[in-house]
Amino acid sequence: MTRTAHCCCGALRVEVSADPDIVGVCHCGECQRRTGSVFGVVAFFKKEHVRAEGPSNIYVRDGQEGRKVRMHFCPTCGTTVFWEADLRPDHIGVAVGAFHDANFPRPTGSVWEASKHGWVVFAHDVAHFPTGRPT
Amino acid sequence: MERTGQCHCGSLRIIATGEPDRVYLCHCKACQRRTGTAFHFGATYPKERVRLDGGRKIYERDADSGYRIRFHFCPNCGSTLYWEGDRNPAVCGVAVGAFDTSAFPPPSDSIWEESMHSWLGLPPRMDHHRQGRPPAT
Repeated sequence: MTRTAHCCCGALRVEVSADPDIVGVCHCGECQRRTGSVFGVVAFFKKEHVRAEGPSNIYVRDGQEGRKVRMHFCPTCGTTVFWEADLRPDHIGVAVGAFHDANFPRPTGSVWEASKHGWVVFAHDVAHFPTGRPT
Repeated sequence: MERTGQCHCGSLRIIATGEPDRVYLCHCKACQRRTGTAFHFGATYPKERVRLDGGRKIYERDADSGYRIRFHFCPNCGSTLYWEGDRNPAVCGVAVGAFDTSAFPPPSDSIWEESMHSWLGLPPRMDHHRQGRPPAT
């Protein structure tokens, strides 16, 4: 199915034409700072199913083991909508909140729980990982 | 006491003095989009107890109340750390996730639950509100 994610002001948009391959929650410090919340929720789609439109600024940050992550955010409102990660070169990660769909597919994994806020729990079964998912 | 937080890239820092007036979660549409995650985790303070340090850009829009609200974000990485608005000019809000994990107490309120993701578990002792928090009587 087709879904659209966009930033707060609507200028940066991503249209996806398939269901995500992976939906996950990440509690790492990078995701907490980026979102200003307790975790990030990401959906990874194959690149051929993703079409982005609108201007974006790119913030490049370090990932694990020398890898990079390129975060695309709107220069007008600051919202990070999608990113490209060296860890998953065939996929685009999209911020699930940008879809604004409370019925979006549920996360199946929860990573970097070593820095999880103690009060955060899930109401369904997820796979729990203290650091990243095993590759 | 002072608590210090920073944006994703570290260019914009925020220093908050003393205890927040309120710590809360917001599941509204605008907060989910702005944060890109399931909910916004925020704290409010009197403005004079919060200081921003570093370059910032401001995104201003109409709030649901009809008043103007302004989000201060880092132009290098996009993270929003702070906001203030015309509805209550003496108060500001901070993004709790920008601070160290253990720096803040758990939230006491959860608002706009009508658009909450169903898979979320929330702390046991919270006030739950389908929409905004009722005004103080």
